[in-house]
Amino acid sequence: MRTDPEITTAACPKYEALLEDYLEGDLGGAGAKDVAEHLAGCAGCREAFGEALASARMLRAAGPALGPGPGFSRIVMARIDAAEQQRTAERATFWQPFVSFGWRLAATATLAIALLITYEAEWGRPLQPNLAVVRPMNVSDIFSPDPARPPATSDEVLMMLAENNHGNN
Amino acid sequence: MEDVPKTMAASAQAIAFPAGGEGKAQDWELVRLCQNGTAAAFEELVRRHQQRVFGLVAGILRRPQDVEDVAQQVFLKAYLGIRRFDQRAAFSTWLYKIAVNECWDYLRKKKVRPLVYEADLSEEQVSRLDGIVSSDRPPQSPSERAEVRELLDRILEALPEQDRQLLLLKEMEGFSVQELAEMLHLNVNTVKVRLFRARGRIMQTWRRRLKAGGKTGARPAPPAERKG
Repeated sequence: MRTDPEITTAACPKYEALLEDYLEGDLGGAGAKDVAEHLAGCAGCREAFGEALASARMLRAAGPALGPGPGFSRIVMARIDAAEQQRTAERATFWQPFVSFGWRLAATATLAIALLITYEAEWGRPLQPNLAVVRPMNVSDIFSPDPARPPATSDEVLMMLAENNHGNN
Repeated sequence: MEDVPKTMAASAQAIAFPAGGEGKAQDWELVRLCQNGTAAAFEELVRRHQQRVFGLVAGILRRPQDVEDVAQQVFLKAYLGIRRFDQRAAFSTWLYKIAVNECWDYLRKKKVRPLVYEADLSEEQVSRLDGIVSSDRPPQSPSERAEVRELLDRILEALPEQDRQLLLLKEMEGFSVQELAEMLHLNVNTVKVRLFRARGRIMQTWRRRLKAGGKTGARPAPPAERKG
């Protein structure tokens, strides 16, 4: 509680937020009782609260600002529609150079391919037939590993050893 | 701008959103529809929130001629960004944040501060406002309300800009402390304390003016150009 006569119009700092709640009727049971008791004993808070009540009454006299006209929502929707159209147009304008470049690139590539085919057909070397070379194969070779090739498996190693032994004998 | 695109008009007719009762779609349902490409759902969201967005923009800008344009821009930005809105916060909170940012962007681009009144209220204006405030009879006609609002705007000039906005949005436009804290990126307790202090200061200003009786005529100053 404040006792200084110079500042009796100011509320106790601790109670300012609570007094605002009290003014709005936002304080329940115990909180409201506490503030009411404080107001009864504190002249500064009582005076400040009286001023706050008077200010609320004065300011509420004017009421809210005059609203928009009846066609406001329609105007807003029309403005939104115009903005959407503009955005779509801007998006198309943004991609247009890329699309144009793509078409030009495709046309150039087609022309280049056509020229290449024409050149190949008229002046290019005749293609050599890719003939397979068939080498007669000895049937016994099937079962014996190629001597030029190192043995790859353990079976081939054994066969090579057997042949070598046979040759030596 | 009055012309509505045929596609949108058709979709708005095709999907009906009841104005009230149990069948009323929630904001998050409308947002979901909107994210799936139903423009008519967004039109319903505009209808629901236009009044508060208007009040919020008017509260920050205080330039009536620009309020409608900025409010439209707010909804346009919301529509363009709604696919990225993950619904972790309420749609209204998200929308009001866009509105606050849009107002500040607008003021920065235009290089103007919110309208500033250079002179005090006249004696007649002070007594008129006092009569309305102490009569407990709120102004009835729109013109009366607009007049009272303008007078109160001048009283609110005594406050720092953010406190003025807090008080105006809280008391005149009906935003909650929680909403204000989220919109203005402030702590909830900070908002409460600032509101309470602003109330005291505004009443001191008001009583001083009542005492003085308003000796000078008042006219709104032209928007102050920002130097540099």
